[in-house]
Amino acid sequence: MKRKHFTFKSTFEVVITYIILIAVAFVFFFPVFWLILASFSKTGSIYDFKGFFPSELSLDTFKTLFTDTAMYDYPSWLRNTLIVSGLSCVLSTVLVILTAYTMSRFRFKMRKSLMKATLVLSMFPSFMGMTAVYLIMVNFGMINNLFSLVLIYSAGAPMGYLVQKGYFDTISNSIYEAAKIDGASNPRVFTRITLPLSKPIIVYTALTSFAWPWSDFILPNMLLKNRDLWTVAVGLTHMGETEFARFAAGAVFIAVPIVILYFSLSRFLIAGVSDGAVKG
Amino acid sequence: MKTENKIPIAASCVIMGSGQIMYKRIGKGLLYLLVLAAFVFYMIKWGAADLKGFVTLGEVEGDPWLGIEGDDSVIMLLRGTLALMITAAFAIFYYNNIKDVIQTRKDVLAGKEPDGFIRSILRYADRKFYVIALFLPVAGVLLFNVLPIVFMTLIAFTDYGGDIVPPRLVDWVGFDNFAKIARLSKLKATFGKILGWNILWAVLSTALNYFGGLFLALLLNKKCVKGKTFWRAFPIIAYAVPGFITLLGFKFMFSYGGPINYYITRAGGNAIGFLDVDAAWTARLIGLLVNAWISVPTSMLLATGMLSNMNQELYEAAALDGAGKWKQFVKLTLPFIIFSTTPTLITSFVGNFNNFGVFYFLRGGMYLDGYFLASDTDLLINWLYNLSIDNNYYSIGAAISLIIFLITSVFSLMTYVRSDAFKKEDTYR
Repeated sequence: MKRKHFTFKSTFEVVITYIILIAVAFVFFFPVFWLILASFSKTGSIYDFKGFFPSELSLDTFKTLFTDTAMYDYPSWLRNTLIVSGLSCVLSTVLVILTAYTMSRFRFKMRKSLMKATLVLSMFPSFMGMTAVYLIMVNFGMINNLFSLVLIYSAGAPMGYLVQKGYFDTISNSIYEAAKIDGASNPRVFTRITLPLSKPIIVYTALTSFAWPWSDFILPNMLLKNRDLWTVAVGLTHMGETEFARFAAGAVFIAVPIVILYFSLSRFLIAGVSDGAVKG
Repeated sequence: MKTENKIPIAASCVIMGSGQIMYKRIGKGLLYLLVLAAFVFYMIKWGAADLKGFVTLGEVEGDPWLGIEGDDSVIMLLRGTLALMITAAFAIFYYNNIKDVIQTRKDVLAGKEPDGFIRSILRYADRKFYVIALFLPVAGVLLFNVLPIVFMTLIAFTDYGGDIVPPRLVDWVGFDNFAKIARLSKLKATFGKILGWNILWAVLSTALNYFGGLFLALLLNKKCVKGKTFWRAFPIIAYAVPGFITLLGFKFMFSYGGPINYYITRAGGNAIGFLDVDAAWTARLIGLLVNAWISVPTSMLLATGMLSNMNQELYEAAALDGAGKWKQFVKLTLPFIIFSTTPTLITSFVGNFNNFGVFYFLRGGMYLDGYFLASDTDLLINWLYNLSIDNNYYSIGAAISLIIFLITSVFSLMTYVRSDAFKKEDTYR
């Protein structure tokens, strides 16, 4: 009797759970699915769509996206985005990992003050300094230059070292002690011991510091005035309702690589997010 | 003997590095000397003038008609700030130089032989690894984070903006901008309304994202769920799609030509301007939900990580004691999760308080009656953007930035200090 009651209750619970799961999956997948189908639409304007989905499918939009570059020069935007994201990814990763490792591993006089200073700095509204950055860039003649974007992204990156520091905090001290006893110098310890141990967090850092310029809009919109220097984010923002299909195609084209990256690296992602957060 | 020994110290006080050279630490001495030379050169060439410009903010007003090339106050302020920072950096070098020469004297008196130049560099790289490792990051942050923030903080105390942009001269005005925000009715009213909505938004969106993520994580963590990776994939897709694409996509979805309005008109209704100027609460609600769509996956990932760190024995013990599922959740899961996520909760609150993207992409650049250069969904940060980047009200914008900074930092500090994560750091270790 008791047993039967129990199974009924748990079956009910399982059914409810799955209903919620399906609803959740739908909520998260539907908008994405909608954009993907829209990118294959034959007509461009959103007004020609009958409801959510295009009536006719074709690959034309993708073709025009790459060939019709008079108004919307997508190939150049893509190239610019790749340059900026790739370079900032490399530079930021190096800087962030160095900062985080140093902050985690060493105890020196300025350490606490530096940590407090970054905390205070991060409280300022993110683009409060943007106007000033703009003026600095104008003053040094670095407007309309992809490399000034790289410079700004990588220079600001060490501010977000906390997650990585949390990871380094979990590496046991005894490994370092052993290396010290063997007479290894600090630079050597870093390159021979720390780096090989930190693959997950390096991947995590590289991924996030690639994704940030890849999808940032504010900074490139402010610093890149020439249409052919735009990044994809800036360009897509300038497409209106009549260019909906082209927007969708452009969006799908840059979202897909990043989604694939995230999925193939999701192992590192979860490790990075949770390890860093526990320790803070 | 003893007095003679102090000469190098005095020498280093006057000319950096000279004392070290007297003690035959040639390489180190030359480096200090080089820093001094570079600083003196900088001061003569630009620094002194820049510092003077920092105080005056320009004396000659330019006039293109008369061909007078005037002073550019903003550039002067910027260069003056830079000069102040360089001077501060030099002061640190100077202090280190004196400390170093005193140490060197001790070494010499103790009869230590100086290391060779290369060896001393290697030793330095080992002993002071952190200085070398942090040099570039700190320099970058100083130049691209600290300098702009200091600069904007200073701007808040000038009258830069509106009509007063170069070639007109900018002046120091003290707290006038803050007084204006408190006194001028249009600014004051807008500020009050936006601040109220901003706080409400931050609380609502943080709570929604946080509990949404926690709920999803707990749901996916249930024993009866098969194929967890598959179900988890959907939120991760949402997490991975760049935010601006999501936001623009939703903007299209709710636009006049968008699918939702298509169904409404086909059902015989009138198209609804979900995101129109007068939409108020529909637009706010859409913003809240779209933001949740973007942020819930992140907090789900976070909570998933936390849950996997949790001690399962606690649950078994609780079950033995006869605690029901709900009780286990309230007494065990929730305190643990809240404990471990307080720091991230603060970050996400501050992030939401300053969430620029959502309403910029969904609505962007709308000005509503009764608001000064803003609309009813705009957060302070959006207003800031409208004021300073779209409309050149730099000094008012800077003053508002400072107010935002005050609010968020006071809030974060208070929550952090009062939180368990701070008070009982070792509870769960």
